[in-house]
Amino acid sequence: METLEQKQRMLKEVWAEVRRKHLYPELPQPSWEEQEDRVAIDIKDKRISVSAPFVEELSQFMDPACVASGLLDHAVSHYLHCPWDLSTHLKLYREAKHVLKDKQMAQKATGYFMDVVADTLCMSQKESNLPELYRHIKRGIMDEAVHALYQTIWGLDLGVKGYEEVARKLSRLPYLDRGRWMESIRKFSKIVQSLLEVEERFGGLDRPNPMGEHGLQQYSPEEIEQGLKEFARDAATPAEFNEIVEDLQDELLEAMEPNHKGMGLGPGRSLDADILYYMKLAENYALPVRRRPMEKSGALYPHHHVPWEVGRPFQDIDPWTSFGKIMPGITQTWERREGEVLGREEGTPDCIVLIDSSGSMTNPRQSLSYAVLGAACACDAYLRNDAQVAVYNFSDAKAGGCQILPFTRHRMSIYKTICHYFGGGTKLLLEDLESLQRSSLPDIFLITDMQITNLEALIQYFNEKKNRVTAVHIGDNEHVRTFRRSMALRKNVGIFSVEKKEDIPKIVLGRIREYFHSPSRP
Amino acid sequence: MKNPFQDFGSLSVERKELPLERIVRAREEVMERMVHGYLKLVEEEVKDLVWLVEHSRVVKAYSAAVKSIRELQYDADDIEEFCSELDSSNKIPYMISGPAGIYLSALVNHAQEDRIVLPLKDYQRTFHFVGYRLPDGKTLILQGDVGDFVGAGLSGGRLVVEGSVGNWCGAGMMKGEIQVMENSGQNTGEWMRGGEIHVEGRIRSLGKTLFGGRIFQRGKLVVPQETDSEI
Repeated sequence: METLEQKQRMLKEVWAEVRRKHLYPELPQPSWEEQEDRVAIDIKDKRISVSAPFVEELSQFMDPACVASGLLDHAVSHYLHCPWDLSTHLKLYREAKHVLKDKQMAQKATGYFMDVVADTLCMSQKESNLPELYRHIKRGIMDEAVHALYQTIWGLDLGVKGYEEVARKLSRLPYLDRGRWMESIRKFSKIVQSLLEVEERFGGLDRPNPMGEHGLQQYSPEEIEQGLKEFARDAATPAEFNEIVEDLQDELLEAMEPNHKGMGLGPGRSLDADILYYMKLAENYALPVRRRPMEKSGALYPHHHVPWEVGRPFQDIDPWTSFGKIMPGITQTWERREGEVLGREEGTPDCIVLIDSSGSMTNPRQSLSYAVLGAACACDAYLRNDAQVAVYNFSDAKAGGCQILPFTRHRMSIYKTICHYFGGGTKLLLEDLESLQRSSLPDIFLITDMQITNLEALIQYFNEKKNRVTAVHIGDNEHVRTFRRSMALRKNVGIFSVEKKEDIPKIVLGRIREYFHSPSRP
Repeated sequence: MKNPFQDFGSLSVERKELPLERIVRAREEVMERMVHGYLKLVEEEVKDLVWLVEHSRVVKAYSAAVKSIRELQYDADDIEEFCSELDSSNKIPYMISGPAGIYLSALVNHAQEDRIVLPLKDYQRTFHFVGYRLPDGKTLILQGDVGDFVGAGLSGGRLVVEGSVGNWCGAGMMKGEIQVMENSGQNTGEWMRGGEIHVEGRIRSLGKTLFGGRIFQRGKLVVPQETDSEI
């Protein structure tokens, strides 16, 4: 029995070799995990934990250093090749779920697929102890099938008998071709479906994979944010995003535990996937904003040296760089420039977002709502620039169909209010809007199809106010034309049309950029 | 000065070729040839992207299909994958059900394996003419529903459909057996000359002209004893 110190030393040596072999991946020193019921390895936030009982158990068949080396090869290959990032992980899961229609089976299939890819890539590029490890590992039904596959595609004997048909079918998939992983995992899932069903019947799906599970805890909170952002962009509909995120909600929250406020989530430990979808999708169109324009201060300050010439004033001569001489060409004089300082202009104004959620608008939970995405982009831009956002979500406000969120920077509350869908008629109460006004003149962002019953009153309101208004209309109709005509002369009102998804980021961002970058307010 | 890359000097840069790569390469080559053969057949047989089911055209298309696969080495897995390609791949710009089924039948009939299972239930498209001229000694099992003319001209093989079939099932079959686990459409067994059709579900209508053979519904003989067209 080795002492802890010996084991630590051994792991350190093995890790040095594994790192060198994999060209020094940016991973921290692995550690030993002593708990009895652990699987071979566990990865949390990039730190690999190697199970000491597992290594000890296998040490009767092979050198413990070789066991540790094989396990680390497996873990590092996951980090370097597959799944690579959360977005890929979620996409693989989505494809598997599409075929298997069951969360647990899809998770298992995704895990096994990623194992096959990572191990095979490792085997194709490095010398590894993985085959020796797999030869002695305890196997369930799926493990047998996957190891039979390894026998076929690695050309080695791992001591598996049977599963020839499954292995033959699985061996036809191009695991090393990253561009075809989605197609491959669909086929992979279809082939192993019957085995997974057998595993499910005998409770095998509840048992962890001996080489470790591929939970989302391996990702850092930042990677989760980025992954969800990419996944939202890739999802065809909010429903597709929701299905996957709701499936993995617990794991996502678990992985975000150390710093879950980054998502803008408050206490309560739940993810509203609909809201998250628009939140993450909007982040894809993030706008860089120059916060405070610089102004000329009028004061001159020494900027750089130029050679002194006869006729130039003496007071700007720099004696320290002139060798104590007054001589053209040798004597240096200061060139002065006018200084720039932060002007009186405040950074980014706050914004009141008016969003129409009447029956004529798309329900954001059913399909992609341009209105909600547009409003989300606008909110994101203001929040990123330290401004506050108030939301007025209305349908028939007089009949109670409205939600008012006072100025706040709490993302989740903002997106929750934006995503709320009322249906029904369209009428806003101007006194509600007026209650959100501030002396500092917040911007107003309106997004609607303009089929507002009291549109005339709104036009009148905008005519009286000096707030900068960005009005975005979805589609085109008589009311839009009326609004455009009425606002034609107002310099503080910008009107944009949205016909397709691509219009939203362009129009919203373009407008906001133009405004934020203007040197002074109108 | 120390070479900063010295540590990497002992690392092998040679990449091993795993059997996987050979398997995938061979598979892709076969698939490419299958797709090419199918597209050529479509090009020759379906000039206006409309294909009329006429006996002479069916025979001609089948002959062309057999000719195009003559030197191809493939197995049942390749056929299964070809079905998948026909269903969803962007490698095949147009899938015309008649010629596709005939090409598929030619592949099945000339495969090395005697027993072939094709899981068709998850596919979006419907395959017609599957099992055309299935020869003696071959068993073809189709999992899922299939289209029209399934098992047409069956020539001694055993065709099992684990689902429903469309119209004209077993049209002109010579000998062999067709087993349909669910329902069959109109004109079942039209022009059949021999063999047996067993339907476990409903038969929408029987063929009007039958020269021989027997048709069973739920184990009960309905042809030749009973020739009523609506059952």
